[in-house]
Amino acid sequence: MKALENQKLENQKDERLQVEAARQDPARFAELYEDNFERVYAYIAHRVPNREEAQDATADVFHQALAGLSRFEWRGLPFVAWLLGIAAHVLSDRWRRFAKLREVATDDWELPGAEDDVERRTMLYQLVDTLPVDQRQVILWRFVDQKSLREAATELGRSEGAIKQLQLRALQNLRDRMEGPLRQRRNHV
Amino acid sequence: MSNASLADQLDDAIERIITEPDSAPVSAAAKVDLKMAALLGIASELRLLPDPRFRAALKAELLEKCEEPVGPQDVRRYSQTQPRRHSEYDAILPSLFGADGGTYPVRRGNFAISAAIHAAMIAIVAIGGLVMAKSQFRSHATTFLLTNLTYPMPSAVHKNGGGGGGGDRDKLADSKGILPRFELAQMTSPAMVVRNEQPKLVVEPTIVGSPTLAATADNGNPLSTILQPSNGAGFGGGIGAGRSGGVGSGDGAGFGLGYGGGNGGGVYRVGGSVSAPRPIYDPDPDYSDEARKAKFQGSVVLWIIVGPDGKTHDIRVARTLGMGLDEKAIEAVREWKFQPAMLDGHPVAVQINVEVRFRLY
Repeated sequence: MKALENQKLENQKDERLQVEAARQDPARFAELYEDNFERVYAYIAHRVPNREEAQDATADVFHQALAGLSRFEWRGLPFVAWLLGIAAHVLSDRWRRFAKLREVATDDWELPGAEDDVERRTMLYQLVDTLPVDQRQVILWRFVDQKSLREAATELGRSEGAIKQLQLRALQNLRDRMEGPLRQRRNHV
Repeated sequence: MSNASLADQLDDAIERIITEPDSAPVSAAAKVDLKMAALLGIASELRLLPDPRFRAALKAELLEKCEEPVGPQDVRRYSQTQPRRHSEYDAILPSLFGADGGTYPVRRGNFAISAAIHAAMIAIVAIGGLVMAKSQFRSHATTFLLTNLTYPMPSAVHKNGGGGGGGDRDKLADSKGILPRFELAQMTSPAMVVRNEQPKLVVEPTIVGSPTLAATADNGNPLSTILQPSNGAGFGGGIGAGRSGGVGSGDGAGFGLGYGGGNGGGVYRVGGSVSAPRPIYDPDPDYSDEARKAKFQGSVVLWIIVGPDGKTHDIRVARTLGMGLDEKAIEAVREWKFQPAMLDGHPVAVQINVEVRFRLY
């Protein structure tokens, strides 16, 4: 338990140094971006209906963060909390702007478990990058490019059945890899 | 459940997740198989998996922004210390006159470049349109008269075109006789058989034509072989088979086969005492579609009579060009107006040739 606290403190210290470095040299903002991209994206993806809106809002968040980095103050919260605050404002602005176009249910923003869901998605997105190359490729084709199995099979030069098996193994792999960290978290709580 | 059938079912459900994101395949599948439900839970969360290309592009965009010499916060600080020259315009067009357009800094140089590019594009489109319009519809037409209008022509002695005819519906053809004198205006038409022996005012009979013309024969209608006195089968006074007080079988107060007066057949020709008609309204002809498509060029020569009223009559093609351009030339020339040809101060009908040139440029 103490080790976890220590690690947390260590992380915060690193993050603080990263922010200071980014203030001195804006090019160092790339590190903060890499560390927090998935979590910000997951937070937004949980609240918007499609990828285009998720990408637009994510881009807005990081642009605003970069522009307002000088205003960031340490208040004992991790940097990502500040980013998620910006994300909440960005989403709120977007929904207000498009309110006439569609009804947006804002009541379920902070449903119990929403935070867990964001954490789960963040983890999932990060784990996709750890999959074997061919499994990761199938997942990206299927879910990002939304290609059919036949198209994926043609591009990989394999049978449709083989691609189906790859897809199954990729999802099983993700499920297995997620179970460990989630169990660990549950134990800590 | 075998691995193959699990893969098939999973793929079907994923297809539904992708194509119908609002449906709930996870709960439906959960009733069948818990393993399957867990996998579909992951699949539904992967539906909005971030695109690695987007992630890389956004990073590049942010880095590019970082490399800008003046960041947004610097612009803001700078703008607080500097007097704002266009502050009253900020609310109208903040992206140009303001310090920044919200999140992004303003680069006024970009507006200048953008304006210059737009102006250049508009100019190119406008000039291109003009060139296209000219090349498609503009043709060059030129009137080409057989006579050179700038030089005085020598007087004709025997013929200058035109003609006339007459008669008083006699049963006999007109008699051979002395041709009357040419005058610009006719007071009395000539007659071999005088119907009024005691006129109250005696006027010498004349026929219409240039006074410079000389008679070509000794007696009456020089073309006739009849010796018995007769004014001929024509009508309107005069002698011959024609009409209108002249001599011969033409139409008019002149002599011969033509009409309108004068001598020599046909209408007057330019030259001698007959001045050339001058075009005063000569719109260009249109190009025919066929010729335009084939980029066909050339000239059409038209044979026309310009009447005393200045209008064109009896238009005929003397040299054809084809591809519908003859018809276009005739259409245009039919609309032309001339200042008529003059003979000693009087407008007369003349025949001229007109060359209409079709050029694409």
